[in-house]
Amino acid sequence: MEGDRRRPPGKLDAAASLAARALPSFCTPFLDQARLDARMLLDRAGGKTPAPVIERLPSPTPLDEVDPLVLLPRRLADKVRTAHRDIAMLGGRLIFGKTPAPLIERPRPAPGAVVSLARKAPQMARTVKVVDVVRETADAVSIYLTEEDGSPIEFKPGQFLSVDVNVDGHKLRRAYSLANACLPGVPVHITVKRMADGRVSNHLNDTIQAGDTLSVLGPSGNFTVEPRSVNERHFVMLAGGSGITPIMSLLETVLHQEKRSKVTLIYGNRGWDDIIFRERLARLSVELGERLVIDHVLEKPPEAWSGGEGLLSDDVVLERLDALGIEDDGMLRYFVCGPTPMMEAVHEVLKRRGVDAARIAEERFTRPEDRHGGLGSDKIELVVISKSGSEHGVQVAPGQTILEAALAAGLDMPFSCAMGGCGACRVRQRSGDIQVEEPNCLSRSEKERGYILTCVGRPLAQSRIEVEGS
Amino acid sequence: MLTNKVLENLPFSIRRRLEPYIEAVQVMTETSNPKVLRAMAPSGIRGLILQRGKQGVPTKMPSHHETHFDWTYPNDQPEMRELYTRAKEQQWNGEDLPWDIDVDPENPEVPIIPPEFMSYDELRGMGIKLTELEQHRLNASVGAWMLSQFLHGEQGALFAAAQVTEAVQFFDGKLYGSTQVVDEGRHVEVFHRYLDTKLNKLYQINDNLFVIIDALIQDSRWDLKFLGMQIMVEGLALGAFGTLYQMTKEPLLKELLKKVIQDEARHVHYGVIALRDHFQNELSESEQREREDWAFEVALLMRNRFLSYEVYEEWFEHKITRKQWAHMVSHSPGFEIFRQVMFQRLVPNLREIGLLSDRIKPHYERVGLMQYFDGRSADHLSGDELIAELDAA
Ligand code: FES
Ligand SMILES: [Fe+2]
Ligand SMILES: [Fe+2]
Repeated sequence: MEGDRRRPPGKLDAAASLAARALPSFCTPFLDQARLDARMLLDRAGGKTPAPVIERLPSPTPLDEVDPLVLLPRRLADKVRTAHRDIAMLGGRLIFGKTPAPLIERPRPAPGAVVSLARKAPQMARTVKVVDVVRETADAVSIYLTEEDGSPIEFKPGQFLSVDVNVDGHKLRRAYSLANACLPGVPVHITVKRMADGRVSNHLNDTIQAGDTLSVLGPSGNFTVEPRSVNERHFVMLAGGSGITPIMSLLETVLHQEKRSKVTLIYGNRGWDDIIFRERLARLSVELGERLVIDHVLEKPPEAWSGGEGLLSDDVVLERLDALGIEDDGMLRYFVCGPTPMMEAVHEVLKRRGVDAARIAEERFTRPEDRHGGLGSDKIELVVISKSGSEHGVQVAPGQTILEAALAAGLDMPFSCAMGGCGACRVRQRSGDIQVEEPNCLSRSEKERGYILTCVGRPLAQSRIEVEGS
Repeated sequence: MLTNKVLENLPFSIRRRLEPYIEAVQVMTETSNPKVLRAMAPSGIRGLILQRGKQGVPTKMPSHHETHFDWTYPNDQPEMRELYTRAKEQQWNGEDLPWDIDVDPENPEVPIIPPEFMSYDELRGMGIKLTELEQHRLNASVGAWMLSQFLHGEQGALFAAAQVTEAVQFFDGKLYGSTQVVDEGRHVEVFHRYLDTKLNKLYQINDNLFVIIDALIQDSRWDLKFLGMQIMVEGLALGAFGTLYQMTKEPLLKELLKKVIQDEARHVHYGVIALRDHFQNELSESEQREREDWAFEVALLMRNRFLSYEVYEEWFEHKITRKQWAHMVSHSPGFEIFRQVMFQRLVPNLREIGLLSDRIKPHYERVGLMQYFDGRSADHLSGDELIAELDAA
């Protein structure tokens, strides 16, 4: 851990610690300062200047944690420690009448728990085939996929694949939504837009070809609808940039399956040529007439543009909703996907309009590298997993996620995206301390009720979790 | 004894503190052989006085033996070679035991040790009345204590087996020894798993057991390691496993013990053949006497002191004295049987390796162990025969 870089105590620290133990306690601060000063002077005399960058400077071990025995050679120090324990043992018994505890207490799994030591990170992903590559815009490419045996990938509209890509020797994982209608015979594809500095998106845009393979997990996610032909519904969908991909799949699927439902799409982009699926949407709108209203909002509109203008900020969103005459009648359903500022703006506006959260579906993607809270403990920790009434102890190695350790130990665990985006691996924490990468797809109330995600969760201490519904 | 008188007149709280030390001194001065005393005293101090095994940190023990290499790979001991072959064929996997059996140590229907194991009457005489549930619990505690000591003993056996494999001069013995190391590792595995996942309880190592392990791990003489581990500890363990195997109603434990007993029978067999010639041909008379006295001392340690004091400390420390407890335990029916079976196995082996000379016999006679003199020794008793004998009894 970065903040924990400690300079190992030396003779100087040990001498100070010894003195601090021998002298009355008001001397301690002076001794502490004195040893730091002396250390600095010595370093300087030895030609070492203090490191200029603060975070890289190892902090000195606090005086009360310095064991004065480091002054002694190791073997001798061991002897002194043993003697110290011997005396404590004898004294405890003779003077205080204390017998050593008859039982050995140590961190142990629960009764019946079978401990398994996780080995290497398990292989969770599978291979799919790239059957076609179609350029959508200068910056976006659609990659058509089938399962390895040529069968179509099954999914629900709005779901995404977790794609593992090796870039310069690093395995990076990204979520890409499946963008086609979820209908028999319709080829399945993801669409990848170049991100500024996006290692994976640029790599895919530059190199992917028909005949390649990709390593994927999923499909996963709950940003979806269940179309039913009897329904007559009105959806308002708001997409920003590549956020159109799950929305595209959703609107094509519902409009096809529910012949009486309508969709209003508010779709923000930079310029006219950046609009992914522009032609496809135009054709659809001709075909479906009133049932599909498309409202393009452009940040840099061409001349003589009469549609919406600007970024999808709260003002603009509000203005577009008004311009489109959308009154919330308590029945509308909203689907929102796009960059974080846009998502927040929409969230704000809808809240102000009194739309209750249950009718708003949101999908947000973050790059794993942009998340925080990822390292977990720096030693092996025991996690007891109770599942279908039995308990299993799993040893989670430093850096490993609970999901990885549990799968490697042969446990059948629920999961899908393995990147904190779908909630499939949600479990309840019963005790201990588990660090979960943020942001993730858990709602605040889920977090309050003690839910965590095993795929981005790492133990900081011995913990206990429960897989529900199994 | 004078010290006992003095002790009896002290207030309870002081007496409770002093008792273990007095006992320690008594144990160490029981031998009349100064060489044995010299060899055992440091271990006695570490184990009984300083209680090194209970200090809550890993114990480090230096060992002083020599590793014996032989670059000619002789085929020197057909009987050991034979044991080696048998050992390879009889390997088993600890995972294959019926671990899915649910064990409830407090269930009186399938007790770990039988309900009549302890003498509750005598406890009652000391003013301790236990409800039925408490009796089940105490019984379960004694069971867990016993298995904990087995486990600690197996850890000792694991390292001793490794040392003995290094030190022994017979090449076939080394090959055989490699299988014993695996065996002991497996024993540690299964006993630990049983305690950890089924009984959920692990007792500290008994001080007397610690003394024995400490003495033989640190001794530089390979034959003493052998004698200590392969004959004494293993021999007694074999007896103890056998008794528990007969007594327990818990099916998983029974299966586990059955497997372990079959391994242990080989181990003791090996000890007997390795030491027989050595003791009879290679040792001077005084060296032989020392081994004899050493063995007797260890036998006494096991016979008189292996009395689940850790259970006493857990349950009754402030209610009765250590001595009262010792009296109750050593006269309880369960321990009587234990002792009997343990020595029934051990004494014939001591005879077979020549450590029951006419000089020492009266001592064994005095402590009532000579009755086992005519039994079958381990080199005439295979694991299967042993199990059959136990099942028949
Ligand atoms: S598997 Fe999708 S959130 Fe963990
Ligand atoms: Fe063993
Ligand atoms: Fe053994």
